Amino acid sequence: MNAPDRFDTFLLGDGEKKVTEVADTRIPSASTFTFNKEDHTLGNLLRSQLLKSPHVKYSGYRIPHPLVSSFELRIQTDSTLTPRAALQQACRELVSDLSTLSREFTKEWELRKMVGDGAKGDDKDGKGKVPGR
Amino acid sequence: MDYGAMDIDQVGPRVIIRESFPNRADFVLEHVDLAFANSLRRTMLAEVPTMAIDLVEVDENTSVLADEFIAHRLGLIPLNSKQIEDVLYTRDCDCDQYCENCSITLTMHAKCTGDEIMKVYARDLVVAEPRPNEWVGNPVITDEAGLGPVICKLRKGQAVRMKCIAKKGIAKEHAKWAPTSAIGFEYDPNNKLRHLDYWYEVDPIKEWPVDDRNASWESEGGPQQDDETFDYNAVPSRFFFDLESIGNLEPDAVVQQGIKVMQQKLAAVLQELAGDENRNGNAGGDGFGVQEPDGMQGGDYGVDQGYTTPYVNPGATSQWGGGATPYGATPYGQSGWNQ
Ligand SMILES: [Zn+2]
Repeated sequence: MNAPDRFDTFLLGDGEKKVTEVADTRIPSASTFTFNKEDHTLGNLLRSQLLKSPHVKYSGYRIPHPLVSSFELRIQTDSTLTPRAALQQACRELVSDLSTLSREFTKEWELRKMVGDGAKGDDKDGKGKVPGR
Repeated sequence: MDYGAMDIDQVGPRVIIRESFPNRADFVLEHVDLAFANSLRRTMLAEVPTMAIDLVEVDENTSVLADEFIAHRLGLIPLNSKQIEDVLYTRDCDCDQYCENCSITLTMHAKCTGDEIMKVYARDLVVAEPRPNEWVGNPVITDEAGLGPVICKLRKGQAVRMKCIAKKGIAKEHAKWAPTSAIGFEYDPNNKLRHLDYWYEVDPIKEWPVDDRNASWESEGGPQQDDETFDYNAVPSRFFFDLESIGNLEPDAVVQQGIKVMQQKLAAVLQELAGDENRNGNAGGDGFGVQEPDGMQGGDYGVDQGYTTPYVNPGATSQWGGGATPYGATPYGQSGWNQ
């Protein structure tokens, strides 16, 4: 009846921005980023990647309301780089890791196809076992 | 920037494929953290685009099933979604309602004339041409008889005539767009990290059987010994995936598409952050903020082997390829990325 449309969980509304930054007024090098139409998939991923940087002092995310598809990511850095720069760096690192993963998966899959081709066709329902390592 | 501390991560993600079948991929993902592995799992489950019937125009239905009952069944029929990049989302298309760039029309026309009960199968759906590529929209048929799932049954004199419009979508909107029926996901089968606190009657070891196949992959060996000290700094780094495809995409394509969707998400964030800078600062007006992630797919980038990563420059097949520095020259925020 008054249920929101399902696509409201992933499509930005008119004029809505993907990310907005609000700098903390009391703590230097600290910002809260609000991500619209995103969920744990991106929130936790960024949180975790940011924590790997030696310049990031704090990184945490929360979903303020379960029915509103947005999350807040709070970042505090040492003064060597801004929270925004840290976030950009984290994103780039993840994009790069994902590219590596894509290449690795393609390589391994092709290899697997060459080695275990016999097993591929025989087993229609995919339940058969192929010896592992 | 200082990447010195990243030395450990230089290896990047690693994959070992344990089993591969036409509809299943069983693989181990290593050298990534839990958040990364879980995001990949979540993306593959809910955000990989596929085709599914979304609109049904009923011309005739004298079967015993209600129109919406059949429409629902039609929606759940897996349709081939190979190279779905060729298909536009209807919302991004220029057309009024739907067209051959953003939809595929399948017609079902069946009438029972004999005395026997007649079954209408997915193979009876007729796919209209032209369509974005030669595969998309074909009902997925895997049974030996080549029939596909049953849609409805007809008695003598009964008939169905329906026009079905298949559209591109994701499972976050409706489960009919899901590319997988399930993704098995496990880490730390021996529970050495103690992320689990097992409930038990008498003996948790007996009552919670360990997945031997996964457990045997752990180099650290068997279950926690009593004299073993607990490493409270340990984090999971090996993840066991068992992905079962519905048939609309091959299992490896689901993984690759999942990766791509994640990259598109991150690219959208980077664009927004870079776009802000342009507005505030040097006002480059290089169209950074204007581009939408969806606009990045499609023919502009040429078709490289299988999957084109969504953000690369035209012509440059792999920005990240080879090289000792995986974090090296990225196309973001550099003047070279204006196209
Ligand atoms: Zn259209």
